[in-house]
Amino acid sequence: MGKAPVRKLAFQHPKFLIIAALAGLVIGLTANGLNYDKQIRKTATNRPDSIASVAAFGKVYKVLKSPRCMNCHPAGNIPLQGDDSHLHTMSPIRGKDGKGVYAMKCANCHQATNSPGVGTPPGNPNWALPPEDMKMVFQGKSARELALQIMDYKRNGHKNKAQLIAHARDTLVKAGWNMGDGRKPPPIAYKEFVAAWDEWINKGGYAPGK
Amino acid sequence: MNQSKSTTSRRSFLKSTLLAGGGLMISFSWLSKAGLAGALSEHTLPAEWHGLTGYIKITPDNIIKILNPNPEFGQNVMTSLPMIVAEELEADWKKIIVEMGPHDNIKLGPQFTGGSNSVRMYWKPLREAGAAARQMLLQAAAQTWGVPITELSAKDGLITHTTSGRSATYGSLASKAATLPVPTEVKLKEAKDFQIVRHSQKNVEGEKVVSGKPLFGLDYRQEGMLYAMIQHPPAFGMKLQSFDAAAALQMPGITDVFKLQLYAEDFEQGGFDTRTFNDLLVVVGKTTWEVMNARKKLVVQWAAAGDSKDFIAGRNGKREVIVPGALESTTTQLADMREYARKPSQELRKDGDPETAFKNAAQVIERTYTAPFLAHNCMEPMNFFAHVTSEKALLAGPLQAPGWIEPTLSKLLNLPPEKIEIQMTRMGGGFGRRAYGHYLSEAALISKRINAPVHLVYSREDDMTYGIYRPMYTATYRAALDANKNLIGFHVKGGGIPEHAVHANRFPAGAIDNYLAEGWSIPSNITIGAFRAPRSNFIAAAEQSFLDELAAAMGKDPIDLRLELLKKAKDNPVGKNNEYDADRYAGILKLVKDKSGWGKPENKKYSRGVAAYFCHNSYAAHVVDIVMKNGFPYVERVFSAIDCGIVINPDAATNMVEGAVIDGIGNAFFGRLSHKGGAPVQNNFNNYRIIRHSEAPQKIEVHFIQNDIDPTGLGEPPFPPVFGAVANALFKATNKRYYDQPFYEQIPKPGNTLNIKQKLG
Amino acid sequence: MIKLNINNKDYELDIDPNMPLLWALRDVIGLVGTKYGCGVAQCGACVVHLNGEAVRSCVTKVSRAAGQSVVTIEGLSPNHDHPLQQAWLELDVSQCGYCQAGQIMSAAVLLKENKNPTDRDIELAMEGNICRCGTYLRIRKAIHLAAAIQNKD
Repeated sequence: MGKAPVRKLAFQHPKFLIIAALAGLVIGLTANGLNYDKQIRKTATNRPDSIASVAAFGKVYKVLKSPRCMNCHPAGNIPLQGDDSHLHTMSPIRGKDGKGVYAMKCANCHQATNSPGVGTPPGNPNWALPPEDMKMVFQGKSARELALQIMDYKRNGHKNKAQLIAHARDTLVKAGWNMGDGRKPPPIAYKEFVAAWDEWINKGGYAPGK
Repeated sequence: MNQSKSTTSRRSFLKSTLLAGGGLMISFSWLSKAGLAGALSEHTLPAEWHGLTGYIKITPDNIIKILNPNPEFGQNVMTSLPMIVAEELEADWKKIIVEMGPHDNIKLGPQFTGGSNSVRMYWKPLREAGAAARQMLLQAAAQTWGVPITELSAKDGLITHTTSGRSATYGSLASKAATLPVPTEVKLKEAKDFQIVRHSQKNVEGEKVVSGKPLFGLDYRQEGMLYAMIQHPPAFGMKLQSFDAAAALQMPGITDVFKLQLYAEDFEQGGFDTRTFNDLLVVVGKTTWEVMNARKKLVVQWAAAGDSKDFIAGRNGKREVIVPGALESTTTQLADMREYARKPSQELRKDGDPETAFKNAAQVIERTYTAPFLAHNCMEPMNFFAHVTSEKALLAGPLQAPGWIEPTLSKLLNLPPEKIEIQMTRMGGGFGRRAYGHYLSEAALISKRINAPVHLVYSREDDMTYGIYRPMYTATYRAALDANKNLIGFHVKGGGIPEHAVHANRFPAGAIDNYLAEGWSIPSNITIGAFRAPRSNFIAAAEQSFLDELAAAMGKDPIDLRLELLKKAKDNPVGKNNEYDADRYAGILKLVKDKSGWGKPENKKYSRGVAAYFCHNSYAAHVVDIVMKNGFPYVERVFSAIDCGIVINPDAATNMVEGAVIDGIGNAFFGRLSHKGGAPVQNNFNNYRIIRHSEAPQKIEVHFIQNDIDPTGLGEPPFPPVFGAVANALFKATNKRYYDQPFYEQIPKPGNTLNIKQKLG
Repeated sequence: MIKLNINNKDYELDIDPNMPLLWALRDVIGLVGTKYGCGVAQCGACVVHLNGEAVRSCVTKVSRAAGQSVVTIEGLSPNHDHPLQQAWLELDVSQCGYCQAGQIMSAAVLLKENKNPTDRDIELAMEGNICRCGTYLRIRKAIHLAAAIQNKD
């Protein structure tokens, strides 16, 4: 019998799943050096450091590939579900805006907060897949591919570095660590994820070799 | 016209009654209630079920009401049974009012939905009721007008005297008709003259369904009614030890939490008194949701039940059954089945000398098939309303067999049967599940205990994890071929938990000189029950898959092989008690071959599989066409051929076959109820996969054999052969044979990371 | 007190705002056309329209519907003559009938947003509605027929 923790998360935001992808934009930035935030640049810890950056991304990658993030960044148009990342039952599809179609819109089942019990829909006010024109696929991506994708302004939801950094603070991202009964959280704690995320980006947003 | 001596004449009789305010009521009575005084206890269910029937009421203002005697769970009896009455009555179908009859086995017959029997058992009695009423109305007109009855005709609820141009409605003649003696012999119509039967009529409750009217058990409401739920143990083989309800009782809307014993220690169970748990932990409150919430606050200690004893009532006294206490898992169940399959077992039928045939065989083909437990998963979960007082009991809800639960309720409530009223609502599915009335008994005892009207509701999880499952089965088939690939021996050895599925006298018994059928079973605490052709739905899959492989080994077309065997069974049958009619069996195969364009080049793009089966008195064959869709096998088309005699309501019958095909594909592909440590692994539709829209075929073409044979059932027969046809088509599609249901999890598919072993528990 | 507008009628309910809309409809208001099938948004038997969207009332808290417009099967059309209801009857879709209210409510959103749905559109819209009797083919045909009826009107 499932418990019913109806915890309201003050921070909940919609596109937590998308976030991770957004976060990635920085790399593109690194590559063309466009929007490097000078303030951040000044601090010693933010000096480009490919070794530290890649190491940090190793942690980030584990989170992005965990079911809590990857399930809504599927390779196809149907989200994944569960700790085993099976295809979502009843095959809901992305739709243009990522919010489903017709009688199968995400918000028809996914409420603003988690539904109580095991096997019930987790909730967020902005529950969605990335949209049709910016799919930000995580599933099947190597660490290098994903890092490059996140750094690419054209593939990361058009986020610059500052937006990426901010994105890790997005309540939606944070919701990945509270997805309701019966769902394993990502492999590292949220705080640790944010730290790794920042470090990866601030130290140059380098992509691993593989 | 056919002369019919009332089939009911020996132990029941037609009866007419003058209605208050005039009008006719015609009924068949299974002895009168008065005649039964003092003898009720001996009088349970009639031995001749076909000897009973429902009734007709005609009022002076020409309203014709027909009561449907049998519970409706989607098989369309609410429409098709009254159609039979109306046909013989020569009523205007459009003006008929159909009502669900009360539970009254004396007036309305066995009232049992199951075994594909509804139409079969009510066909004759309902025709006779209609014909008798028609006859009496004709007599009434003849007397009123002073003309010979032979000059009168009855049609569309009107009696006409052509010569004089006079006519009168049934309503205007009803009071007079009611005073006439009931004919002892009635004339039944010729099949060729049917105007209503054999013509598609719309579901009489269709409009209520699409407009959301309260029709189902769960919709039943009564003033002051409370809701109850039972918290059952998490696993088979466990029982309630102790509980703390303090927190639950604090929850809003909760009125009571208590423990209740269902059956007393020495209770003798009837055949459908199956129950999984006897000590019930009950929560009662004001709304379903409040009760659901409060259940989460219960603090409960469950304990291993250990081996326990049940008493089963029987003709020769009660029988003691030991229910083993083991906490079973699917992996251990499979291992147990493998072990039992190696042991000697019970011989069910033997023809010729199979041992020698196998010894002399040039080639022996041996294949083993398995299938898991299945949950019925009726869309409407088990539930029942009960209001029990010290004087009487009212129960209302979805059930298939009121006549079977009434004696149980009588014992449990200590009330005579006539003080127990059972109202049958429309059922949100049944599939055999609702023949087991434990949930009525539970509702009744809860109501009695709290002294209030109560609605017992099973949550989906309660429903799916309760048991009464389709058993877990296995069967090993062996065939002996000589050097010329002739079939010289056949052996089936089947087993299961807790029963086997071998039907020893069915095809191909009778078609093979040396034949052996054996069966074994393993006792279990996992309760089982009927499930849309119990046993048949597994054994047909195994047998029809095996025949497909056998045909391939013999170098024959799978339909040709079956037809050859059937020819032998007809011309030169082996053994006795062969249960099937070889001609009718061959008939559906020929029809499906023709309609599906079997072997035609234009169908080459499909991976085709065929299967045919006889069960529950009807014959069904399917050709299943699989294509690969996005890398997944998909059943795109199905061709079905059915012989169930006269089809009462063709469009509704077609609907039922379509449904059986989809149900078969769904269960063959996905159906599974596994166990781990005694607990069901699946508990809701997120982990128990049910076939959905996109997985249903694009086309199901249903063809009925046209004959004038009295109708037999249709709910079950089209279901079992689907599994085999799917397996055989899957082989064509994937070049791999599928021996273990469900098939889908063995098909490698893109992007699926599901770990099957994990799932098995 | 929670204010609800259901089928154009106002209700004030003194209930826990966390109660799912399904149970408020069934047990409190007495509109039982909306069905309980799974309680976990898997089967679609409980679909109602919330501001025109096909929400699953079994997981939709009544608080989400507060002050919003809810339409149930009972209120889909004034005389049970919505094109879908007509088509359902014309093709005699139902077997047991338990899931059909949910099927119709889901299909209604499809037809509102797509006047000429293809088979694929129907699959996409209806995949969340389970029919245990297997009336899927008839549902598909009925939606096509309803689209034709709707376009003719």
